[in-house]
Amino acid sequence: MALTNKQRKRLYGALHVALILITAAVMMVPILWISMAAFKTHVDVYQLKVVFTPTLENFETVFQSPYDLHHKLFNSTIVAFVTVLIAIPLATMAAYSFSRFRLFGERIMFVMILATQFVPAVVIVLPFFIMFRQLGILDTRIGLIIVNLSIVMPFAVWMIKGFIDGIPIDTEESALVDGSTRFQVIRNIVLPMAAPGIVTAAIFCFIIAWNDFLFALILTTNKAVTLPVGLALFKAEEGDLWNLLAAAGIIIMVPMFVLALLIQKHFVQGMTMGAVR
Amino acid sequence: MRDRHLKYLLVLPAVVVVFATAIWPLIQSLILSFRTWKLSKSHVPGPFIGWENYSWALLEEPDFWNATVVTTVYTVLTVGCTTLIALGIALLLAPGGRLRLTVRTLLILPFAMSPALVGVSFRFMFNPEFGLFDAFFGLLIPPLAEVSWLADPTLAFAVCVMADIWGWIPFITLVLIGGIAALPKETVEAAYVDGASGFEAFRDVMLPQLAPVLAIVIILKSIFSIKTFDQIYMLTNGGPGTATQTLAHYAYFNGFKYYDMGFAASVAWIMVLPMIVLTYFYTRYVFRRG
Amino acid sequence: MAGVRLKDVTKRWGAVIGVHNQSLEVRDREFLVLLGPSGCGKTTTMRMIAGLEEPSEGEIWIGDRMVNDDLPKDRDVAMVFQNYGLYPHMTVRENIAYPLKVRRVPKSEWEERIDRAAARVQLGDLLERKPRELSGGQRQRVAFARATVREPKVFLMDEPLSNLDAKLRVSTRAELKHLQHELATTTIYVTHDQIEAMTLADRVAVMSDGIIQQLATPEEIYDNPANLFVAGFIGSPSMNLIAGETNNGSFLAADIELPEVGGGSRKGVVLGIRPEDLTVVEAGSGHFDAPVYATELTGEAILVTVVVGSQHVCARGPRHMRKDIGELVGIHADFSHAHLFDSATEERIARSS
Repeated sequence: MALTNKQRKRLYGALHVALILITAAVMMVPILWISMAAFKTHVDVYQLKVVFTPTLENFETVFQSPYDLHHKLFNSTIVAFVTVLIAIPLATMAAYSFSRFRLFGERIMFVMILATQFVPAVVIVLPFFIMFRQLGILDTRIGLIIVNLSIVMPFAVWMIKGFIDGIPIDTEESALVDGSTRFQVIRNIVLPMAAPGIVTAAIFCFIIAWNDFLFALILTTNKAVTLPVGLALFKAEEGDLWNLLAAAGIIIMVPMFVLALLIQKHFVQGMTMGAVR
Repeated sequence: MRDRHLKYLLVLPAVVVVFATAIWPLIQSLILSFRTWKLSKSHVPGPFIGWENYSWALLEEPDFWNATVVTTVYTVLTVGCTTLIALGIALLLAPGGRLRLTVRTLLILPFAMSPALVGVSFRFMFNPEFGLFDAFFGLLIPPLAEVSWLADPTLAFAVCVMADIWGWIPFITLVLIGGIAALPKETVEAAYVDGASGFEAFRDVMLPQLAPVLAIVIILKSIFSIKTFDQIYMLTNGGPGTATQTLAHYAYFNGFKYYDMGFAASVAWIMVLPMIVLTYFYTRYVFRRG
Repeated sequence: MAGVRLKDVTKRWGAVIGVHNQSLEVRDREFLVLLGPSGCGKTTTMRMIAGLEEPSEGEIWIGDRMVNDDLPKDRDVAMVFQNYGLYPHMTVRENIAYPLKVRRVPKSEWEERIDRAAARVQLGDLLERKPRELSGGQRQRVAFARATVREPKVFLMDEPLSNLDAKLRVSTRAELKHLQHELATTTIYVTHDQIEAMTLADRVAVMSDGIIQQLATPEEIYDNPANLFVAGFIGSPSMNLIAGETNNGSFLAADIELPEVGGGSRKGVVLGIRPEDLTVVEAGSGHFDAPVYATELTGEAILVTVVVGSQHVCARGPRHMRKDIGELVGIHADFSHAHLFDSATEERIARSS
């Protein structure tokens, strides 16, 4: 039977909605499933149960010995926070200069900064492992922060430069004409205008540092272990403790969800480093 | 202070940090790759041995070639599938509307997840006893009901690929939505008025204009596919056997399980080579658009 | 060949109304211009005819077919977009050929048709270029050629000249008019530029707030504006609109009394009179005197703005006249083209009553 255009339009519309809902389900189900497991008892996890009596027991257990997840939480927080605290001011200064001035060797510096983003982490971590071993700072938060900067710093420069590029230069020039010094211009005009971009970059960097796995896996063993590596604690000899893994998973992902939602507008631009606007 | 001094002073700290934390270790790794140094035996670096680490990897080590093949197949599959599926979803979600915007927002969540956690989640989902996906596929394709996914080399690899695609679809989709939104709307409308069907307008007008964005997406995704480590480590740890061992995992294993630093560095540097090529193309696109 | 008919068409997005209960009949082979300020609904009207927007209510007819449910490709219209909508990855030739390609015109006909369309707008030697290698004017021609490569029932043009520089716009305007005459195809043309509307149109539909305020020939619209909006919108410099009242056929406003204007006796009246009907004369010898606010030389005349009460009124003077700001001048008015409007309904009121 031939459909009229109107019927066809409606059919396609319904089909699209169905596909969108399926997509949403496929993307969300694993997250929901693992979130549910975090509130299940050990027994419930092992029986594909959808209806169950939620319990907070798992969250209590993970913060107790021998898991002591609060130590990992503390480490993750400190490492990510300090990394951002160091990276953002330096990156902002550099980004401003890259954005507003012509620099000698600008292109080369820039490509290098971009390229370091793409280097396999294993290449970076080998010499650091050897050096930290000699210096005796393996398994310290300081060590992790230093290595995290290798990823976060170039990323922050690129991203903040993108934001500053988007700020019209007129305001700055009129302030210079009105008699401001360059420092006053940066402090009174550029920083307030770039603030949303800088905050966005800071959040991105925080997420990257927080989610880092390889560096922490190699450079920490005990004292400085972060959350993602801490997941390995729940692989016991008798099998994985899924309810506890799930609870730890929630503690890792929920704060990042909140941060990611805060910056959703700038998500794409940030992650492609300005290649796609 | 004059701008011409100030501008270098402003970039100096950042450049120093990038140099110290990224470029210095890169060079150190390169030097290391020409040495023999088994950390378990000695605390001082061993002698330079020229290209021996590289020739060992390329000529004598079947495991290296296994990892190369795994990484290549993994990269081709994940890049291809992710891009295609994400393009489809992007086209679905590109028009506005409340439902589509809500789903777009939800898409951000999987990407904020730590890749290590994605690995854990998929191990959970494919658990033979109580994994939801395991049960689902078992219902859909009965022969799969009894298999233990992660114990079978092919299926374990498939799960790794699925986990990767799942983790990357959101990001690639959002990038492509951005690309679609940036297309001049008039060109597609002109195609419709000129007489094109929806498919023709997509094939003849939209897709060619989207090509630069697709190129960026493919390059970026290739880079991250080649580097894959976190999910693999958490999901299968390279197993069963070496069925899912990527190059990054192989380098890690040699470096930090066997403490063969020189060899690990050479494997890592072999991985750097395709990155240089891909980065070259990436920067060309970035600078052309910028 | 076909006319276009809109029947009670409304377009709204949520609570926002773009086009309000619009009816319009475009005659076969007519050149109809939709004229209005931005946001008045003229582009939306055109896009609904093209099928790029769906009307919320009402019917759209092209020829004797109701096209509401037809896709753009099935409506047999051609459109020139404001930014031309050229396919950037195709050559000029491929751009022009695209309508033929997707409409499955036999390939043997392509060359002749493309050459004819290209020749009509003097594009012959640019066929192998990409759009980005062309100037704005050339791109514009490509868009015309693409629209004219086949014989659609209706041409739709959405501000096609607005991206050209002023000089090019004038010459292209003439070519466009010639082209439409040659092709003898129903044309709907959207613009915010009244000169374009006046020079090109067989009939003009002046739109504001999603409603057609007046639909008539350019002369009629200029000479007999239906309401205050049309009166103020058409003409450059625009018509003087002076608020006041009439008393026994005399018009009274702040400082002035103008006899024999007509309109009986009523309050809330606006007098509309074009600057070319007000002549600057020596103080005391016109209908009223007023101080000069500013003078502007246009070339063939001088425009003098004077202050009447709290309003500015613009009049014309001979080009050699020189007046200082603040100086008192006289204004002589020719009331034969003056209009009276009701300030509440904004409609024109007859002067004879």
